[in-house]
Amino acid sequence: MALLEVEHLKKYFPTSRGVVHAVDDVSFSIEKGKTMGLVGESGCGKSTLGRTVIHLLDSTDGVIRFEGEDVTHPDKPTMHKLREQMQIIFQDPYSSLNPRLTIQETIMEPLQLSKRFDKTQLPKEAERLMDLAGIEKRFRNAYPHELDGGRRQRVGIARALALMPKFIVCDEPVSALDVSIQAQILNLLMDLQEEYGLTYIFVTHDLSVVRHISTDICVMYLGQMVETCPTKELFAHPLHPYTKALLSAILTVDIHHKNERILLKGEINSPINPKPGCRFAQRCPYATEECHQPIPLQEVTPGHFVACCHVKDINNL
Amino acid sequence: MKNETTNNELLLSVQDLEVDYSSGGSTVCAVNGVSFDLHQGESLGLVGETGAGKTTIAKSIMQILPDHATKRVAGEIFFKNQDLMQMKEKELQNIRGSQISMVFQDPMTALNPVMTVGEQIAEGIRHHQHLDKAHAKQAAIKMLETVGISRDRIDEYPHQFSGGMKQRVVIAIALACNPELLIADEPTTALDVTIQAQVLDLIKELRRQKGTSLILITHDLGVVADTCDKVAVVYAGEIVEIGSLEEVFDHPSHPYTKGLFGAIPDMYKDVARLSPIDGLPPNPTELPEGCYFADRCPHATEECRARHCQLEHITGTHYVRCLKTEQEG
Repeated sequence: MALLEVEHLKKYFPTSRGVVHAVDDVSFSIEKGKTMGLVGESGCGKSTLGRTVIHLLDSTDGVIRFEGEDVTHPDKPTMHKLREQMQIIFQDPYSSLNPRLTIQETIMEPLQLSKRFDKTQLPKEAERLMDLAGIEKRFRNAYPHELDGGRRQRVGIARALALMPKFIVCDEPVSALDVSIQAQILNLLMDLQEEYGLTYIFVTHDLSVVRHISTDICVMYLGQMVETCPTKELFAHPLHPYTKALLSAILTVDIHHKNERILLKGEINSPINPKPGCRFAQRCPYATEECHQPIPLQEVTPGHFVACCHVKDINNL
Repeated sequence: MKNETTNNELLLSVQDLEVDYSSGGSTVCAVNGVSFDLHQGESLGLVGETGAGKTTIAKSIMQILPDHATKRVAGEIFFKNQDLMQMKEKELQNIRGSQISMVFQDPMTALNPVMTVGEQIAEGIRHHQHLDKAHAKQAAIKMLETVGISRDRIDEYPHQFSGGMKQRVVIAIALACNPELLIADEPTTALDVTIQAQVLDLIKELRRQKGTSLILITHDLGVVADTCDKVAVVYAGEIVEIGSLEEVFDHPSHPYTKGLFGAIPDMYKDVARLSPIDGLPPNPTELPEGCYFADRCPHATEECRARHCQLEHITGTHYVRCLKTEQEG
């Protein structure tokens, strides 16, 4: 059974210049223990989607089901329970920790709020969590500014794990870190997933990271999902023109196998009051009149969904 | 391109550069004896992690180190056989922006928000080429079109441009006076991948047309593989490995360089676990006596911790700073 199901989810932000369609009619489901990678460029709505799913933002429309139960509009006790089961790790370990709490206090905060623990047990539990996330005991009474970026992100992870959630949204958790530290955190997240059967949504713009950590991938463009399928399939057979361009733009360290780069014209357009139809059409080399009609995700090959009306011609299917 | 450039004239030679900053009573050793040469038409990638001293090297070449924080600068930086370190500010002003220019990481803060992009591109042209306003504007329009922006946008302000477009404007400013050396400090780090591809292709294309030499500072080995023909790996303020792109990428020899390659998820190979480099870079206020990487190095011995070794020649233009390599010959 899917742990999390999202159907026709929408998140709009009204602004003085019009309505921003940050997430527009997105549907997907994640099985327990899997990692769904959400990729796309800045402003495509991937973070908003992650935050809406765990109710940090209220959805505008659509349905969110967690363990089969409709949790789109939870009442207060349900919300409380959901918060314990759905957690988030933020991108910026510098701004997501309270500068006036020590590491131990930061990690103990959710433990206190849950009322699961006796006061005397708290420090011991915090110590266990620090150990789990690989933070040395000597940092117990340190403040966030005394820690480097990698250790701060470990604190963010320990805090997210405090109440043993089932589901964690990882919102660009390694983007602010250097590569050598990034690998440490990715390994930690994968170890924890294996040990506790965690389910992740992994939001990132880094395709090599997402390929490494995810079992399935959703590619987003301007609030819409353009392609979704298992990770291996996506990298072997990208079908949507945007995904193809995105993958071709990855710079690899392999100097003998250079990608044939598909250069896109122009830049991402505005998500304010978008026109109907495919939002990528303006930059798409294959766009025709037809593309300005609304286009749903279609299952093109088994398990591989694409929103593109020319997908068959482009890929000779 | 590579073969043409090797015989070319020496453009820039940095010798034993050392920079210390003072910070809250302690001394931060940011750059510790960096030397490298750059010939005309070459592109060198300076790779390293946060705090490795890459940007300080760039600022030293531009001679724009912050006065208040810089405690000590030593070494020589020869640009076309003139030592930039000995030059007066007036002379430097004639070189900056005309013969050496720099592209900064963040295009959002590198531009003046209250000047039109046209004025900002024309500013350097007027100063260095002594053109009047109208001619400078014509030159600015040409430059804007060179970087792929329509001439209609010459009178617009930076906030009217997207991130990728702003970085194009910054590149237009940097290249407006046809500099011989362009220093690009993480020029695409703030940009999305498809936009990054556009900007890197633009830099490559302009270099091909004008023969500009390039120092590209980045933490991304993929960007180096795409854009550079020489690589220097910087760790704790010193070069630990330097060589041609092929030498370093095909035969990474310093344990730190090897570690960097192991830490990146590979696009074509499936590995269950990444191999991170354990630990953290040394504190730049108290650098160890021996090898700066010894504490994180899987091969370190007592000898490594006792003696700081020099860059040793391996093959061709490939040099490595590691006792193990030195001993193996």
